[in-house]
Amino acid sequence: MSSPPVLVIESLEAGYEPGLPIVRNACLTVQPGEIFAILGPNGAGKSSLVKAVAGLVPVSSGRVLLNGRDITRTPAHRMVFEGLAFVPQTENVFINLSVAENLELAAAIVKAPRHDSLAPVYAMFPDLLRQRKLPAGQLSGGQRQMLAVARALIARPGLLILDEPSAGLSPLLVGQVFGKLREVRDAGITVLLVEQNVKAALGLADRAAVLVEGKERIVGSSAELLGDARIAALYLGRHAASPVAEGPR
Amino acid sequence: MLQILADGLIIGSVVALGAIGLSMTLSIVRFSNFSHGELLGWGAYLAFVAATALTTTRQALAAPIAPFSFGWGLLAGLLLACGLTALLALALDTILFKRLRKAGAITLVIASFGAALALRNLLLFWQGGIPRYYSDNLQIAVAFLPRSVWGGLRVTPDQIFVLALTLLTVTGLHLFLRHSTLGRSMRATALNPGLARVTGIDPERVLRATWLIGGVLAAVAGVFAGLTVQLRPNMGVELLLPLFAAVILGGVGSIWGAVLGGLIVGLAESASVTLVGAEYRSAAAFAVLIAILMVRPKGLFGEQH
Repeated sequence: MSSPPVLVIESLEAGYEPGLPIVRNACLTVQPGEIFAILGPNGAGKSSLVKAVAGLVPVSSGRVLLNGRDITRTPAHRMVFEGLAFVPQTENVFINLSVAENLELAAAIVKAPRHDSLAPVYAMFPDLLRQRKLPAGQLSGGQRQMLAVARALIARPGLLILDEPSAGLSPLLVGQVFGKLREVRDAGITVLLVEQNVKAALGLADRAAVLVEGKERIVGSSAELLGDARIAALYLGRHAASPVAEGPR
Repeated sequence: MLQILADGLIIGSVVALGAIGLSMTLSIVRFSNFSHGELLGWGAYLAFVAATALTTTRQALAAPIAPFSFGWGLLAGLLLACGLTALLALALDTILFKRLRKAGAITLVIASFGAALALRNLLLFWQGGIPRYYSDNLQIAVAFLPRSVWGGLRVTPDQIFVLALTLLTVTGLHLFLRHSTLGRSMRATALNPGLARVTGIDPERVLRATWLIGGVLAAVAGVFAGLTVQLRPNMGVELLLPLFAAVILGGVGSIWGAVLGGLIVGLAESASVTLVGAEYRSAAAFAVLIAILMVRPKGLFGEQH
């Protein structure tokens, strides 16, 4: 018997203004222990979808289930206690706090024993241990992204959601960050990420979905999507055989 | 020369304590609270009423603690005023500002003008317009340096008390913000409220703490203003512009910026009283403010990028 899904998004509608949904009737299922990528063009509603899941964008209808529990209208600051950690795209570390203070604050908020929660994170990100006294504002883009992921892992979440973790990073740094996300997945944490960098995302993810106009259009394994002519036409610069189909596969 | 410095530091202490609370409101609650000055006035009068009540029932509390002009009654009154002013600030948020938070900063600013008018006139109605003093005892300034040395230096024991307690309060607040979870949460929320939420920080808890701490500091500043000058129902509004000048000068959200800003405003006022006349004291503070902002547009301790 297969394990129940970690995250189920059912017919979700969400947006900042009432009556103007950005996410429209989105449905997704994320399985335990996988890396799931949400792809799509600019303005497709990818970030809004994960922000709605994380409680940062108001949901007008539909449901979000985390390990079977309904978390649809759980306030954003309670999500971490539900086992969901979110890493925003930009401004994802507290630049006025040191590296150590960023991590210690995250540990103190969830009342995790300081050493027990920090030691595994420092083991996974040894650079952060070396730079722990440095103000987070002085870190490079890649190091900040590592700190943001480390900060999110402190609460030992079951699901880690990242909004465009490769944004603004060089290909070398993207490789390093994605390498860490594989380690996170291998440590048993399910990863859901939004990505613009389709090629890199499909190289990392186990499965992916393409979102267009706030609704998922293509869902499948990364291998399937890499071989899909519509994806090739839209994102990889190869010849298209047919336009993007309506509805999930 | 030294006397200008000493007087400036004493005025600056009052301004600094008030400015810290205002700066915290500005950076965490995210609006310019024009009723913050009234919290200083209310704090000063609440301490006066509490001290009067205590010394009436227990005469021993009225006896001055040498070498100061005030007794244990005022210190107890100060503690009570801190608690009551903090509750007043929290009540103001719960009754007024919390309901308007979604309407935006401009609505909150206008509401704070209304709250300031209401609070000031309530104070006037309750306590009357006659200036009051915490003590009838006349204090003689102690000569620390003779006139022959840089014009001399004379300071009253009460003024030394104000300076020492300001230093103690600011250091305590610094340690709280630096090392406690709630303090770090407040710094985190001031910088990035969205990230603070996803980290698990309850924004309402941080807002409550901000109002309470701002109220306590306002009460201390109000009592110090009453102790070094006098109590008047208008003392809050008279201090409001120097408070804003100090916050902007130091950089919004910076505790040490507010302290330094307060001291600079105090020094500018003190120097203008001696050098160009008391009527120009507010103008002098703002001239310094403009000069510093031309060099550092986000204040001395504000993020410059």
